[in-house]
Amino acid sequence: MNKEMIEQPITSKKSKVSKKNGSIIKRIISAIGVDNLSLIIALVVLVLFITVVSGWFGFTSGDKFFTWQNLMNSVAQAIVIVGLLAIGETVVIIAGGLDISVGSVASIGSVVSASVLIGVGTFGSITFLSNSVVIAVLAGMLAGVMAGIINGLIITTLRVNPIIATLGTLAAFAGIAFLLAPDGKPVGVMTQPQFTWLAQGRFFKDMSIPPLNGSNWTGIPVLTVILVIVAIIVHFIMSYTDFGRAIYAVGGNDTAARLAGINLTRVRIMMYMLSGGIAGLAGVLLTARTTSGNPINGTGLELQAITAVFLGGAATDGGKGTVMGTFLAVILVGVLNNGMNLLGFNTFVQRVALGFLLVAAVAISQWRQARTERTRTRIAN
Amino acid sequence: MTEEKTILPGTLEVRNISKAFPNVQALDDVSLDIRPGEILAFVGENGAGKSTLLKIINGDYRPDAGTISIDGESLSFSNPKQAHEAGIRVIYQEPEIVPGVDVPENIWVGELPNRFGLIDRRQLNEKTKTRLKEYGFEDILPIDLMGDQLSSAQRQLVEIMRALKKGVRVLALDEPTSSLTGEEVDRLFTLVRRLRDEGVAIIYVSHRINEIKRLCDRIAILRDGCLVAVKPASEMTQTEIVTLMVGRNLSDVFQRQPAGTDQEALRVENLYSNWHDGVSFQINAGEVVGFSGLVGAGRSELAKVIFGEFPLDDGQIFLTGEKVTIHRPDDAIAKGIGFAPEDRKREGLILVRSVLENTSIAILRQLSRFHIVRKGMERNIVDEFVEKLQIRTPSLDQEVGKLSGGNQQKVVLSRWLAAKPKVLILDEPTRGIDVGAKAEIYRLVDELANAGLAIMFISSELPEILGLSDRIYVMQNGRITGELSGADASEEAILELAMVDNLVAPQFGAPTNFEG
Repeated sequence: MNKEMIEQPITSKKSKVSKKNGSIIKRIISAIGVDNLSLIIALVVLVLFITVVSGWFGFTSGDKFFTWQNLMNSVAQAIVIVGLLAIGETVVIIAGGLDISVGSVASIGSVVSASVLIGVGTFGSITFLSNSVVIAVLAGMLAGVMAGIINGLIITTLRVNPIIATLGTLAAFAGIAFLLAPDGKPVGVMTQPQFTWLAQGRFFKDMSIPPLNGSNWTGIPVLTVILVIVAIIVHFIMSYTDFGRAIYAVGGNDTAARLAGINLTRVRIMMYMLSGGIAGLAGVLLTARTTSGNPINGTGLELQAITAVFLGGAATDGGKGTVMGTFLAVILVGVLNNGMNLLGFNTFVQRVALGFLLVAAVAISQWRQARTERTRTRIAN
Repeated sequence: MTEEKTILPGTLEVRNISKAFPNVQALDDVSLDIRPGEILAFVGENGAGKSTLLKIINGDYRPDAGTISIDGESLSFSNPKQAHEAGIRVIYQEPEIVPGVDVPENIWVGELPNRFGLIDRRQLNEKTKTRLKEYGFEDILPIDLMGDQLSSAQRQLVEIMRALKKGVRVLALDEPTSSLTGEEVDRLFTLVRRLRDEGVAIIYVSHRINEIKRLCDRIAILRDGCLVAVKPASEMTQTEIVTLMVGRNLSDVFQRQPAGTDQEALRVENLYSNWHDGVSFQINAGEVVGFSGLVGAGRSELAKVIFGEFPLDDGQIFLTGEKVTIHRPDDAIAKGIGFAPEDRKREGLILVRSVLENTSIAILRQLSRFHIVRKGMERNIVDEFVEKLQIRTPSLDQEVGKLSGGNQQKVVLSRWLAAKPKVLILDEPTRGIDVGAKAEIYRLVDELANAGLAIMFISSELPEILGLSDRIYVMQNGRITGELSGADASEEAILELAMVDNLVAPQFGAPTNFEG
């Protein structure tokens, strides 16, 4: 009898869906994500501040921001390592976990790849591995994956809180990085131009692109291209695969996810493997950039990575967040660091700013959660 | 110390108390007197309003309307402390005990005797011992035990002792015997009778009708928030009490025509677990089998043991005649069982994710090729169920947490329908949802069973269990105490099997397992 009445909202739902495809602007916004819009606005404001507003206060160095040299070398290249770590971390944080050990895992990846490449140290002496760039890169990533398995097993089978577990492995893996390096000393890779190309190479260098503010076109750093490729792959995993769905479900409500048939242990171990593998790759690239496999290469990077994830809109309770958001936040942090450099702030001030940025990012994330919580209760009552 | 114990007898007068919660009128114009020197029982089904009334008396809730007074002196509490000061004490099933301190400190918390700012241990222990000896509990409650070492019985004693240290005028006990052994029950009764004789007005809430007949002077029966009778215990028989508790008009509830087949879908033999003591039953394809019993009888736990969420100690589970071993929920799902848990928000749904993701989660494997979710197929399937179940949502991408309770429950159901199970376990599927949505869920359950699904239907609401079930199993204390079908099934018969306590002391698995 009241069937028609009930069906009404369903048909109106369909018309709403079709309306959504109407305007181009709306489509672009929905591709970026409404939550990420604020990041873009923040980025624009920041860039304006660096280039225009700072000029009003007599800082002229802001003019240097829009030069190819600065954009490609100081921004696009500088964000790569933290960007990679942050993308791996995004997966873990969305699943309601945390991986503090990524910096140390990167150190392991750095040492392992250099050892394998040069043929020294614990892994390097295994002769059939030596002297191939591809094998060195894979070895560094594999070492990261192994570290991820250790994190995952500690958290799932021993049921240790992820914060404590990865705080422990942060210290332990840092030690392992030193143990793996021959005599605990860095392994130089300066003599391997094919390998250091990973950091020094530039794509599209020969394209005729006009100079910007008097600075010539530099080409796109290989590192930046790697970051973008990894970001696209992880974005694809999170948005289009069953594993990605499981990550969001586990982070949103692990009990409900388990009762809906998700194998929590497997998902958690796999996500720490993913995060570890990406951190291992970051380590490999650190070796290429610093031209040495150094056990302290990754030290301290985890804080910047975690900051970027929360700034990118991931929920501290898990279940929410996007690779796109993290990627934008990484750019934001990169531009902030660059801007502070250009405007002549010293590194200590930069550290203070980064520390407070983490707190602010989490505060914003909490405020967002509280807001959705409020709407939810309002509807329930 | 003598003046501490002086009791000023007074009649607690409850007048025209009403209290409403979203979707339910918990209390409707309740008036009664609780007299000094008398033990008054509160009885009623789950949700009849007993707990709400206790909470109002204790100052946990404020009534929407009505007054409470002692001997004409009007009282209005905004928190339990004010109720305590007026001499009213409600002892809940799980008293608040400070884990890290011993018995005397737990009893005298808030008014520890002190000398020069330090706790006077000697006086404290002395005081406690005297008090315990006086009531004959000195051997049950050793004073050097820490809060977290106390058993449930001992916790209740501590709470009672707390109540007695100040002149208590009204003492309410909520299901005090549910975790006590026979001998402990006897001692408690001795204490309660003694307090009554000293002039305390006592409220005794219990599901155990035998105990009530043994202990109480008068019985107040609540049903659907209304007080239906207050009579001297000697004038009522057990059957009369049960009939008064139930007495509802059944015609307004959905009535399903049994359509079970003789094809076995789920068979459980001699299941033992932490909560269960040899449970056996069978559900056939096309059958809706109700599981009734009181809260705590072990029904939800039974569902979770079968589903692989809780461990099975012993026993066998057969699905369509084949013995199966289930280690985890994903095994159960792969073998064709679906489970909609009782606590929708905490166990059923991922509130921050969309209708789409919550519905397709159990069939992700079928939807994916090389681990890539085929999104078009997913949308079509989910859309079909959203339409079929008439889920009211602005879009498939709406966060589930923003839907109403009834629509949330339908999302859980559509998840399991999409998974096409052979057996569907529904644990309290209509809890907390409005009447209209309830009716839709009844209709859906009926349709699903007619289409050949075997449904294990757990519910605490007797009318819906009677209206919807082809057969009913009644559980008590982790066992099935009876099976009812057809004309045998009535509210009285269910309550008789679920409540009338003629069992020996509960034989739950080692209680240490859950009390830690």
